[in-house]
Amino acid sequence: MAPADLALILTAAACLALRLAGVWLAGGLTTDHPVIAWATAVAQATLAAFVTLAIVAPAGALAEVPLAARLAGLAVGVAACLAMRRRLLPALVAGLAAMLVVRAML
Amino acid sequence: MTSNAFLPGLREALGAPGIAMAATFLAFGAAVQEAGLSPGWAVLACWGIYGMPGQLVLVQAAGAGWTGGVGIAVLGAVAVNARFLPMAVSITPVLSARSRWRLLPAVPFIAVTPWAAAMRALPAVDRPDRVPWFLGFGLTSWMVAGFASLAGFHLAGALGPEARAGLLFVNPLYYALLLAADLDRPAPRRAVLCGAAAAALAWLLPASVALLAAGLVGGTAAFLIGRRHGAG
Repeated sequence: MAPADLALILTAAACLALRLAGVWLAGGLTTDHPVIAWATAVAQATLAAFVTLAIVAPAGALAEVPLAARLAGLAVGVAACLAMRRRLLPALVAGLAAMLVVRAML
Repeated sequence: MTSNAFLPGLREALGAPGIAMAATFLAFGAAVQEAGLSPGWAVLACWGIYGMPGQLVLVQAAGAGWTGGVGIAVLGAVAVNARFLPMAVSITPVLSARSRWRLLPAVPFIAVTPWAAAMRALPAVDRPDRVPWFLGFGLTSWMVAGFASLAGFHLAGALGPEARAGLLFVNPLYYALLLAADLDRPAPRRAVLCGAAAAALAWLLPASVALLAAGLVGGTAAFLIGRRHGAG
């Protein structure tokens, strides 16, 4: 089996198991149980690390966009998100536009 | 159990959060094309995993030629999607099905977008209608996700490098915004800041294990700091 297919099957099975485990545990555990709190923290930290690496040190076509343009897109997007009471779609458009504008200027 | 709440759930899935989610799957399709994988893989990843950060971790590992092995990539993808467990714990009482077996069809749709929409909308929906509503929402966004990734795959081949870079920026930006929207609560703020700081491990460790290590170190540090502060 190709590595990509094997990775897909294993990840899909593990993600389904996580969801089933959550439904099964729901009667006995609350969301502030230490195990649940730890799993939540690890997931959020992994996502934060992923986003940091994808913006600071990306691979492929995104690596050809200057770092300043990527950071400008991030800053404008986050500012727009917080200013517009967490509406994701307009903030996404604003951040993307900022990235493209700064890249065009550099 | 009635099924007349299926359609309101379906309609809700085609609103603004659904459009933002579709944009991330469009961008995912472009990333799959860039990594040299097939369009069929893109669709099956969406429908099988249905958790974008984990899908992106696999695509990145594929782009790097699986240098650290499949096992490390899968562990990284599962860690970044580990929030499915707490999400399932918190949504189960809200869905209020009479038995857990009735929840089984809904289980694959427990993911960020349906979860957030359901936690917001379901308290106002009659209890017997909640599972059908969630199925309507989940199934619709799941279908949209698969087809959007397919469209993104083919679109990326037709776009120039400039536009493609813009499309590839959608996902990191979208997830940065999701995390930023959580920064006013202490527990997510600690996890996000510790995770971002632990990303520096990428300078010490091979790229294949850096993400997993950063998530485990950053998340565990955030958890321990939170326990010491005694706050949630």
